[in-house]
Amino acid sequence: MKGFTPLVLGILATLAFSWLGLAYIPDLQIGHLDPQSDEEGTDIYPMPKSGMAERGRRIYVANGCFYCHSEQVRADYAASDIDRPRDAAPSPPSKWGDRRSAPRDYIFDRPALLGKMRMGPDLANIGKAAPAEEEAAPAQPSPANPANPVPPGASPPVANASPPPANAAAQQNAKPAAQPSTPPAPAASPSAANAPPPPANAQQNAKPAAQPSTPTEPAASPPATNASPTPTNATAQQNAKPPAQPSTSPAPAASPAQAATAPSPAASPSEFPAPYSAAWHHQHLYAPRSLNLDSDMPAYKFFYEKRRVGGEQSADAINLRGEGAPGEGWEIVPTYDAKCLVAYLMSLNQSHPLNEVKSAAPPAASPAAAKPVAK
Amino acid sequence: MNPTEIPLKSPSSVTNLSIGDVEQVERALIDASTRVPVLMFYASAVVWLLLGTLLAGFTSFKLHSPDLLSNVSFLTWGRIRPAHLNVMLYGWGSMVGMGTAIWLMARLCRTTLRHPLLLVTGGAFWNLGVLLGICGILMGDSTGYHWLEFPSYAAVTLFIAYSIIGSWAVLMFRFRRGDPIYITQWYLLAAFLWFPWMYLAAQTMLFIVPVQGVLQAAVNWWYANNLLFLWFGSLGLGTAYYMIPKVIGRPVYSYHLAAIGFWTYAFFASWTGMQRLVDGPFPAWMITASIAAMILCIIPVATVGLNHHMTMRGYFPLMRYSPTLRFTVFGAMSYTAFSVLGVVISLRSFARYLQFSEVSVAYSHLGLYAFFSMIMFGAMYYIVPRLVGREWRFASLIKIHFWASVYGIGLMTLMLLAGGMVQGMNMDNPTLPFTESTQSVLPYLRGRSLSGILMTVAHFVFAYHFLLMLLGLGRTASVPTFLNPVNPEPREMVAH
Repeated sequence: MKGFTPLVLGILATLAFSWLGLAYIPDLQIGHLDPQSDEEGTDIYPMPKSGMAERGRRIYVANGCFYCHSEQVRADYAASDIDRPRDAAPSPPSKWGDRRSAPRDYIFDRPALLGKMRMGPDLANIGKAAPAEEEAAPAQPSPANPANPVPPGASPPVANASPPPANAAAQQNAKPAAQPSTPPAPAASPSAANAPPPPANAQQNAKPAAQPSTPTEPAASPPATNASPTPTNATAQQNAKPPAQPSTSPAPAASPAQAATAPSPAASPSEFPAPYSAAWHHQHLYAPRSLNLDSDMPAYKFFYEKRRVGGEQSADAINLRGEGAPGEGWEIVPTYDAKCLVAYLMSLNQSHPLNEVKSAAPPAASPAAAKPVAK
Repeated sequence: MNPTEIPLKSPSSVTNLSIGDVEQVERALIDASTRVPVLMFYASAVVWLLLGTLLAGFTSFKLHSPDLLSNVSFLTWGRIRPAHLNVMLYGWGSMVGMGTAIWLMARLCRTTLRHPLLLVTGGAFWNLGVLLGICGILMGDSTGYHWLEFPSYAAVTLFIAYSIIGSWAVLMFRFRRGDPIYITQWYLLAAFLWFPWMYLAAQTMLFIVPVQGVLQAAVNWWYANNLLFLWFGSLGLGTAYYMIPKVIGRPVYSYHLAAIGFWTYAFFASWTGMQRLVDGPFPAWMITASIAAMILCIIPVATVGLNHHMTMRGYFPLMRYSPTLRFTVFGAMSYTAFSVLGVVISLRSFARYLQFSEVSVAYSHLGLYAFFSMIMFGAMYYIVPRLVGREWRFASLIKIHFWASVYGIGLMTLMLLAGGMVQGMNMDNPTLPFTESTQSVLPYLRGRSLSGILMTVAHFVFAYHFLLMLLGLGRTASVPTFLNPVNPEPREMVAH
């Protein structure tokens, strides 16, 4: 090696070259993308997240959620991300994604939490997995009322006012009886408490099957979705467990049934909130193994507050039964941080089509699963 | 073969000087000038190592027992993990690497270290930065970028500290005597010039003028991979290039090979990084370029490996005696294994299964522990006696350290590789529930925790031994501590 100067210049030049190639040129190529819109300038995607969701991202980062959960769906030729159903919602099937992720999906993300490890499922579309009428709500940025203390998915505080007796009564009924066939306790999915309870219940009983695709229906649909798929869950698990053939054809129709993981066979199915609803996320964060015995997620109890029930139970209290239940006269309520975190989760949705990505929506998917996208 | 390596206990008492003695005195003076800063860097590094080891054990156990102490916010897994990682990267790895590099620079430039207290100040600031960063992470201030989790106040402190340390190390070149620049000096100089460049670039593009969306992840992995290769890798390789020839007393096999190895390394290794994002939301050319660079990295790996091997040829039995050689050669061999694994997991057909699995954790540990840390342990076994004027007290402790580390990292790598493969295969099979993939890896993670216990033993033994040396409780012999009694005809005995 001759001389000091060529050595130093060479050292600096190599890294400069790599920086140019891997940081600067990509920035020219994909560093200044705009949201996509149609000809009329409407149907803009993506949109910035709401204030609560952005705060939720900070909490997601601070607690290292991204070390176990990725937020990217790889292309169908590269991996089977698109085919993978979510464990808690096998029917109607909720997949990790309809299409691969693209740079444009992340233009408002800071940091963009692509993730490196999947000790937990991918979350790029977790907001889309929510029951239909909860799904749409948090996607709208709500800069008008950033101080809104309740995540859009949860029930408005009005719920406390009108139907407390019905609420309490329903709970009383549900607890000792533990009949799987009882209509779901309204407390399980808080939004149900909005509607006058008796007709809602009647409606639930009358409704035969899941109708998540009718977002116009006011309040009755979450219990309905809750009521119908869960029994299927149980049976599906019964069927799927003994054979456990991983070599079966990966037809999308077959997979959800096998993937069914009913939470806990001992518990009454109606106790559980609709999968991937805000209430479900809260219960999952507070006690992951109350929803999925196989979960490896740590509990985040420090986001929740155990307090004495003052008057009537709060609408957003976690409806936990059995082991870990707060006990008579106590309730577990999410802190503001927890609500933000759930708002962030509910805002994760890459299902909007992008012009540069072919949507690989499988033709076999049931119409109930496909999100009706106006485009 | 250089019989004058034994350090002088008190250079001023030497009166009768031959030429060999002059060199000996010179070395002793240089060593004396580096004593305070290098020992300070080493002591901090060892403290961080112990802390990082405890955090690592915690991380590992919590991963298969998620309810362990999960109710306290600052002990949640998602905060302990980055704390462990950053303690190891910036506390242990960087501190021990810079300490070694300062000593090597002074030796190779044949110049005494001027104003060593300035370096001590730099080291103190660096410690402060790491401490601030760890507290920040545990308090929930993490930035969310891999290997850059330190919040801005810690990052600024680190950078200030680095500018003192780094400029000092580079300035030593100005005062160097003797013109040929040795191979080790290329690597060390490069590391000291690369680190601020990449740190500043990453900080700027992520925090000061943030790039858009997915490019943050690209910059993030560009930095993380360069930190691994160009910072830790260069420090490790440079040290190995010094220690191996020095201990066996024989020049490096080929200078030309070394030059090829160095420049191809600088050129190709710096282009890797995007292979960690295979098939992510990026233009495919970026990822392909990194995969190609990864494959081309076989050239520097092969040349460096060949060079070390040819230098060592015929001298491998010395590993029986010299602790330094044993650690260094193990590290140099791990470098090859690390690079080969890196190539394999970056290929698209493997990445499909392994990308989001525990295999990437195995890969990082192979690089940062089996390769880098082992070489640094070896360097410390060589350098510390020359700074404190004592020899290591117990050969048995060195042996325990070596074997516990080797079995620990070996078991960890095997467990994570096997577990990661099972996990990855299950994850790519959509007919299985997702939890099947996490459940299937749990037994391997328990095995990994076991390996962590071995490594914890190794590190505490080492720290105890190091403490004895600091307290001046080492042996006052004139012969280095050998791992095994030397044969009756000790041809290489002087070679330590």
